[in-house]
Amino acid sequence: MRIVIAEDLLLLRDGMVRLLTDTGHTVVAAVDTAPALLAAVAEHRPDLSIVDVRLPPGFRDEGLRAALTLRAGDPDTRVLIVSQYVERAYAVELLADGRGGVGYLLKDRVTALDDFLDAVERVANGGTALDPEVVRQLFTRNSRNHGVDGLTAREQEVLGLMAQGLSNAAICAALVLAPVSVEKHITNIFAKLDLPPAEDANRRVRAVLAYLNH
Amino acid sequence: MIRTTASALGYLVSSLVAGLVGLAWVLASTLGVGLLAITQLGGPAFLGAAWVTRRLADVERRRARWVLGAAIATPYLSTDGGTVRQRIGAVAAQPATWRDLAWLVVLFPLGLAGGIAATVVTVVHLAAVVAPLWAWAVPNPHAPFPMRPLMTTVPGRFGLTVLGVLLLPVTAWLLRTAGQAQALLARALLAPGAHRHLVEEAARLAQTRRRVVDAQAAELRRIERDLHDGAQARIVAAGMTLALAARKLRTGAAAASDVELARRQLDDALAELRRLVRGIHPPILTDRGLHAAVAALAGDSPLAVEIRGDPDDRYPAAVESAAYFVIAEGLANAGKHADARTCVVSLTRRAGTVIVTLTDDGQGGADPSGSGLDGLRRRVEALDGRLTITSPPGGPTVLSAELPH
Repeated sequence: MRIVIAEDLLLLRDGMVRLLTDTGHTVVAAVDTAPALLAAVAEHRPDLSIVDVRLPPGFRDEGLRAALTLRAGDPDTRVLIVSQYVERAYAVELLADGRGGVGYLLKDRVTALDDFLDAVERVANGGTALDPEVVRQLFTRNSRNHGVDGLTAREQEVLGLMAQGLSNAAICAALVLAPVSVEKHITNIFAKLDLPPAEDANRRVRAVLAYLNH
Repeated sequence: MIRTTASALGYLVSSLVAGLVGLAWVLASTLGVGLLAITQLGGPAFLGAAWVTRRLADVERRRARWVLGAAIATPYLSTDGGTVRQRIGAVAAQPATWRDLAWLVVLFPLGLAGGIAATVVTVVHLAAVVAPLWAWAVPNPHAPFPMRPLMTTVPGRFGLTVLGVLLLPVTAWLLRTAGQAQALLARALLAPGAHRHLVEEAARLAQTRRRVVDAQAAELRRIERDLHDGAQARIVAAGMTLALAARKLRTGAAAASDVELARRQLDDALAELRRLVRGIHPPILTDRGLHAAVAALAGDSPLAVEIRGDPDDRYPAAVESAAYFVIAEGLANAGKHADARTCVVSLTRRAGTVIVTLTDDGQGGADPSGSGLDGLRRRVEALDGRLTITSPPGGPTVLSAELPH
């Protein structure tokens, strides 16, 4: 897979390049500012960009804004945002176009190498990857305010894992459930969130979105 | 009306006496201190004279109450402590000392003119009103017109009475205005001037600065302790686990579980650091400003929080930070102590000030001197702001911070 990295800390940038190269990917460009990221993506057309939220010169959310710019220009741009901290609001902005192909992870997750590489694959293939921390934040909020209109505790759990970007099989493994019951839960979730039953990858993103905007 | 006029009259007439006393004292004390200045007694004499001058000026301040409704405030700064020489320096350096003297000098001509004029006007006026009772006793056939018909005929004398009664408001107004003018001049010289305000302001600033420095030092200690007990300890633990794994690998033993453990310990260290950073300055506050940061807080709060205000308003970093921590503490208190279910947070911008108000539906009874609120107060006062809390038993609790920006 051809990847562009935007990360301002040399230590982390080099570590990320080594990690991805060692696992069979190609890092076509490793840059340290938002404008350089835009230029690199335009030049290399990578399969995925891995972008730090906070970039020079402002050290605010330049990385996130650059990612949104990229996706506004070409909705098929795949971006995985990594950060030292996670904010629910940023997740909402990333998912807002309902198209998938985005991820938002804590940098810590890099240390769980297999999960991280899974997330990289998933986002590059148009899926999503939300940090469990983001999902936890979403749940504190919605379960309190609305009780998520009729979602059972188990359905919320399944939706949380869907939000993280897990496949049905992975959800089965995580919750120790039979594939049939996971599918039943997912059908119920879609029904309760008023989503049409057509099956495609973006539908899962829309389910999460519907949940976020609830 | 009658009372205020009488007060003004009393003030003007007593000024006559006060002016005489004041001038006499100024002359006597200046002469006395001047003569004693060539001896060792000059200093103490100056202090003594200043003490008497201040007592006289105090009498003047209280006398002004007859007209102004309230005594003039005392401008003196404490000169206690120190040697006689230091105290002389301190007393001489206070503008109030010399302004007192200036007033006692000015009071003499003012009091003389005002007192005599007020007496004459009042006597003549009252005499005119009661003219029928006495004018017959002093026949004056050579008085010029119009005094002759007024004084010498009965209708004329009653005419004087009518005229006097009609003119009463005019005379009363004159007396009140003259009294007011004199008292206002007294206030200009005797009230605390810019000097005292500046000295007080400097003292207040020094105090708040000290409190801020204390609060900052305490905060740094807390961060140091948190780092030491939290992230640092976990990183050390990870290092030890890895060292162990390295030894196992040298001998060819399986080390995978140790490496996995070290990774988990590092994860914990990172989580710990993130928690700490959030407590120092939440990143979203820098990124997106107060409104977004409060929205994030609201999301984590067990209360239903409504946020009012313009999401795009940005303020200086220090103001946003203080406002954020007021809201964070307020929300935490509302959930923990007040047993509240909802809270309204409003952010209002008004003429160079941002006003943050939290209103909950809890049971009230918050202690305004509690340690959390005290810390907030320091934080707010460090920015020249004001923190107020009202929390009657039964609620609701309203926590409000005004922050100039």
